[in-house]
Amino acid sequence: MIGRFERIVGYAILTIFSAIVLFPVLMLVLTAISPSGSGRIGVTDLRWDNFVIAWQQSDFGSHLLLSLVLAISVSVVTVLITPLAAYAIGVLRIPGHRMLFILFLAGIMIPLEGIIVPLYFTMRTTPFASTIGSLIIAQIGLSVSFGVFWMRAAMVAIPASLVESGRMDGAGSFGLFRSIVMPLVLPALTTLGLLTFMWVWNDYFLAFVLINNPDQLPVTVALGDFTTKYSTQINLMSACAVLVALPVVILYLCFQRQFISGILSGALKG
Amino acid sequence: MRRSVRRKTNSRWWRRLGGWLYVLPALAAYLLVVIIPTAQSVWYSFWNWSGVGAATWAGLGNYIAFFTDPQLMQALQHTLVFVVFYSILPIVLGLVSAALVSRSRVRGAGVFRTIIFLPQVLTSVVIVVMWNELFGSNGLVNSALEAVGLGSLAQPWLGSFQWALPVLGLAGTWTTMGLCMLLFVAGVGNIPAELYDAARVDGAGAVREFFTVTLPGLMPQLAVALTLTVIGALRVFDLVWLTTHGGPGDATITPSLLLYQTAFTNGSVGGAAAIGVSLAIVSTLIALGIVAISDRRTA
Repeated sequence: MIGRFERIVGYAILTIFSAIVLFPVLMLVLTAISPSGSGRIGVTDLRWDNFVIAWQQSDFGSHLLLSLVLAISVSVVTVLITPLAAYAIGVLRIPGHRMLFILFLAGIMIPLEGIIVPLYFTMRTTPFASTIGSLIIAQIGLSVSFGVFWMRAAMVAIPASLVESGRMDGAGSFGLFRSIVMPLVLPALTTLGLLTFMWVWNDYFLAFVLINNPDQLPVTVALGDFTTKYSTQINLMSACAVLVALPVVILYLCFQRQFISGILSGALKG
Repeated sequence: MRRSVRRKTNSRWWRRLGGWLYVLPALAAYLLVVIIPTAQSVWYSFWNWSGVGAATWAGLGNYIAFFTDPQLMQALQHTLVFVVFYSILPIVLGLVSAALVSRSRVRGAGVFRTIIFLPQVLTSVVIVVMWNELFGSNGLVNSALEAVGLGSLAQPWLGSFQWALPVLGLAGTWTTMGLCMLLFVAGVGNIPAELYDAARVDGAGAVREFFTVTLPGLMPQLAVALTLTVIGALRVFDLVWLTTHGGPGDATITPSLLLYQTAFTNGSVGGAAAIGVSLAIVSTLIALGIVAISDRRTA
């Protein structure tokens, strides 16, 4: 029933969208391996060592490693603490679970702008002021809302009979969590870990405000400083940008189903 | 007998209360970073404070100063322009393309999906580098204009009073159009095929089919896309800060930039808190409003 014309139109639209998306990305990658600092693309003389120079320049490599520490530690803590909270709220239904859920949900609605000013002044008084530590703490707190919301949704979808049968077998509340609930929500947990990693890695604003120490900047802010300082080395700047984008893009290509469904359904429910 | 029953329910209640231990780590982090600072924001916003020294009571002064600030009017106008580029343009593009793509049921859509969604995982700073290379003085757009003999139109786009704002807006369109399209493609997949069959039996063409079946069926996704992109447009910071700093003049200033300048350039912490609280209220109202409207439409 479907006409050939319609199929051609469908492919044409997908191709046009893809081309629009890919054009700036390809331009960035080609600039990154070009010899000229003016940003002129030269494909006859590919300079793969631009990435090595970019890594060494202004300690860019150490900023990348800092970002890695930041994003991994926040993701790990998030996938540890938010399923526990979601379990107590969604499965155990502890006293006050409705109130708690509403409290956690409220955080999804509060934009960073609503808390950034006091957060800055509070963090300034702590021992880890202006270090990656303050950013780790802030990002963990910010990831709680979505994590609890996301993991609770996965947990309430578990058939009640499975939980009941676990209880009948005499499992305590933690045994139930570990041996029945967690294995069933593992896909949701994976998606949560990936999304948290991406959000924390990609953050600019929070790090920009909280961190003033140039040695402690995560890589997004470090790259931001480059864009204003080194406008004569556009090829190296592009190489840095590729390095910043690469970890998340690799994760995205490996786990695209989780990323796309996570962002789309997270968006739908949020 | 009665006593043992009560003891039993009592101990169960205690056990359930013990479940709070599971919540504590997440709750502590959340209270510390989100809830307490939110309350502090509200509190700060009623004081004049420069970040050091003593604070004096301001009442609603900070809010009055913000809402009568001529820069705010400019920032809001820019936000409206951003709404067109971040929200309306991607949604219209996404709707039309989703309708056409789902009608044709093309195969091999997986690769396209991966590519089209890619901007969603790129950080704003990387997009800034791309936009500088496209629209800078020696950028690709100017080279292309010169190559086709339109060199007189070449200019530093991001330094132009007239063009800086729409050029930054295009970055938003580029980022959100794939999200909108995939959101709508997924939504069309949920529309019962019988509705389409019925429309075709009635002799509806592509256009009527779109307005009678596809569009009403996409109301939930439309609400989500609107909420996300409008709030995105309201909160633009990185992109503007890293390209134009709000300039030239105030030509690209946004509410978030005003907040940053008020707090860290002008040293008015209370004023910045008032801007933050206002932004939080406005984005919550937008989200609730759009959800309420779409609920009434679908009900």
